[in-house]
Amino acid sequence: MNMTAIEIRDLTKTFGPVKALDNLTMDVAEGEVHGFLGPNGAGKSTTIRVLLGLLRQDSGTARLLGGDPWKDAPALHRRLAYVPGDVNLWPNLTGGEVIDLLGRLRGGLDPVRRDALLERFDLDPRKKGSTYSKGNRQKVALVAALSSDVELLLLDEPTAGLDPLMEAEFRDVIHAERTKGRTVLLSSHILSEVEHLCDRVSIIRQGRIVESGTLAELRHLTRTAVTAELAQPVPAEIASLPGLHDVTIDGRRLDAQVDDTALGDLLGRLSALGVRTLTSAPPTLEELFLRHYDDDIREPAGEREPA
Amino acid sequence: MSGLGDLLRLTVRRNRWFYLAWVLALGITPVMTASAYEAVVGTGVKRDVLIATLVGNPTMRAMLGPPFDLSTPGGFSAWRVGTFTATMACIMTALGVIRSTRADEEEGRTELVRAGSVDRRAPLTAAVLVALGAATVLGVLIAAGLIAQGEAASGSVAYGLGTTLVAAVFAGVAAVTAQITASARAARGMAMGALGTMYAVRAVADGVSDSSALRPLHWGVPIEWMALARPYAGERWWVLALPAVLTLVLVLAAYRLEAVRDHGSGLRATASGRPRAKASLLSPEGLAWRLQRGSVIGWTLGMMLFAFAMGSLSGSMGDMLKEAPVLEEIFRRMGQDASDLVDAFYTAMLGIVGVVVAVMAVQLFQRLGQEERRQHAETVLATAVPRLRFALSHIGIAVVAATALMALVGLCLALPEAIGQGHADRLAQIAGAGLALAPGVLLVLGLAVLLHGWLPRLDWLTWVVVFWSLFVIWVGGTLNLPEWMKRLTPWEPLPKIPAEPMDWLPVLACVLVALALIALGLLGYRRRDIRS
Ligand SMILES: Nc1ncnc2c1ncn2[C@@H]1O[C@H](COP(=O)(O)OP(=O)(O)O)[C@@H](O)[C@H]1O
Ligand SMILES: [Mg+2]
Repeated sequence: MNMTAIEIRDLTKTFGPVKALDNLTMDVAEGEVHGFLGPNGAGKSTTIRVLLGLLRQDSGTARLLGGDPWKDAPALHRRLAYVPGDVNLWPNLTGGEVIDLLGRLRGGLDPVRRDALLERFDLDPRKKGSTYSKGNRQKVALVAALSSDVELLLLDEPTAGLDPLMEAEFRDVIHAERTKGRTVLLSSHILSEVEHLCDRVSIIRQGRIVESGTLAELRHLTRTAVTAELAQPVPAEIASLPGLHDVTIDGRRLDAQVDDTALGDLLGRLSALGVRTLTSAPPTLEELFLRHYDDDIREPAGEREPA
Repeated sequence: MSGLGDLLRLTVRRNRWFYLAWVLALGITPVMTASAYEAVVGTGVKRDVLIATLVGNPTMRAMLGPPFDLSTPGGFSAWRVGTFTATMACIMTALGVIRSTRADEEEGRTELVRAGSVDRRAPLTAAVLVALGAATVLGVLIAAGLIAQGEAASGSVAYGLGTTLVAAVFAGVAAVTAQITASARAARGMAMGALGTMYAVRAVADGVSDSSALRPLHWGVPIEWMALARPYAGERWWVLALPAVLTLVLVLAAYRLEAVRDHGSGLRATASGRPRAKASLLSPEGLAWRLQRGSVIGWTLGMMLFAFAMGSLSGSMGDMLKEAPVLEEIFRRMGQDASDLVDAFYTAMLGIVGVVVAVMAVQLFQRLGQEERRQHAETVLATAVPRLRFALSHIGIAVVAATALMALVGLCLALPEAIGQGHADRLAQIAGAGLALAPGVLLVLGLAVLLHGWLPRLDWLTWVVVFWSLFVIWVGGTLNLPEWMKRLTPWEPLPKIPAEPMDWLPVLACVLVALALIALGLLGYRRRDIRS
């Protein structure tokens, strides 16, 4: 059994009338890459800021690396690195200066790693903060965070400004961190990023965790998209099988969303009818997301109604 | 110009309280001064003698500008608070223009506006027009208020219009500085530096004897042009063409500069820097110093030069006492019971310097709040830096810079006398006099820290205290305010050396109170959320 790197119980935080976190409970085990998924305004950044001791919760508890994020902040921060969602650099400091500064303020950085990362992310450390693009500011913060030898990385939507090439580079780096046993909390609303990187995922919505588990566990909750082309017209009674949803029948062609529990049964029936082609797609996190957030999608997403 | 109408509305909306507060405070001053005329100056022969001495007094001239006809309330007001009001109005328009140009651009708001179908020059135009509008309202308030009191219409119009046009010049100056530098801070620094330089030049030009070759220099100083138009003293209307033309030239220059620079940057392309940090940067204190050193150096040099220029007037004071014994009476108002004109001069100057240094201290400290709003505080506090140390890195700079500057300014003020008349002992005395006023600065700073720790949204209250103090020191004597109101400044309990003897008790008490305020503020800062 792994130790817990982050342990949050019934965390509540309000900003005036807005309830940003509403009895949020989640765990991140040591050594795992944990995806923290949710739409804008769900409370991801607020959670991370509480974990950093920047915000004080109204109620509930949070433990970070065995300590209290509020009281033990400076000591804990030697053991972690943070990349904010929207990186603002000092306009007159160069990227290299910021990387060195943040490394030292954290307790030290590995200069060899620093240079390797600069090369890897193709970042010019001599430019002033005011002249970097959003993506390059993000890279400065990533290099600063990854250059230190820390136990825990808190990454708040770290790839929001990166181009696809750099995003792939970022993924490789995080993979490498994982094999070194580092714990990573990676918040995102980009599902493919989490899908590729994370061992476990927590889904947050309106300040609460609505789903949490390994990707396999979460997939289990979802449906598989099946498209089949049969040797004969599809019999109409197929549509009324239990566990099938959104069925379209078009002559010999069948499209449907199928519960995992009904998949075996359906395939048996189809093969009895003679299958020409069959495609089945495992659910992407997009679909997971759609299921959990379809309220938000129907209403405009984002800002929370007052609690 | 497409989008100008919308931008004008937006600029007015975002700045209405800012301008309203300035316009009201400044609009009342000239009118109140005129209405307090008899109470301040007296009547009959006493009045005539007083006026005669005022006209010849170099200290008053240096502080306030050239006196023309002081025999009417309007003429007296135009001299006593006119240049002061015009100078303050320049601060209003300069800060206002920079708020809605460079500051918005720096924070990325202008980019959003420009992305819409808006002319490239529209944001600058809107900022300048709104500032000119505020200056016009101020001028109308002054003219109407004085006419309503029965002052001559032509003088009142010259007074109001002159104030408007002088303020307009600094809308132009700020429009230019906002193009030159990439940060609002630096743009403000340049505009205020220009204002301070002008004030010092005109102080010297007006303070020297009538025959001096330096006297005509005041024609080169825009903030003097309202006074030089001679309201209530045979108006010279053509003088008012000077600020109008200069404003036009400055605004056109700003358009030109804006056209040749890139959005978000200053005139010069930002140069590359070092790829690795120097060891001196690698601590919270090193970072704070790096962020603040430009301001600290600029303020220090500017204030030292200002003090030296003012101090050079001390040479012409000695003769005055012999010529006009009634002067002492006047000095009692400005410089608290000085037996000696030069002492009174130093005392009056240091009183003003104390408030100006407080402006610096608060500005340096408020960088901490800026760091929080720009999310730099979040970045630093997510490392192993404790909050207290982070806050103290900025507070420390403000405390040390302000205290040292008070002593340095005292030194520079006495330097001309020390050199010219061999009074070397004055150096330590006046430097000490400056230091004795430093606790007042620390009290203001303490208030700023307290507010920032517990009620960061009320940060601006500190500025109310600062401007109230400046107001009381400069023009409080002429306004017939109740005595307790005039005493309501952080410097009130402190000894006004050299006019008064040193008194350790209030000095130490103020330091202790200031430290307690800072400690209390830090307590709040440690407990509260870091907002971003
Ligand atoms: N400093 C703040 N003041 C007021 N409301 C805030 C503040 N920070 C966050 N919120 C609100 O809290 C909710 C959660 O925000 P956030 O944690 O930033 O979401 P996410 O990072 O998931 O996009 C949002 O409704 C947001 O508007
Ligand atoms: Mg966020």
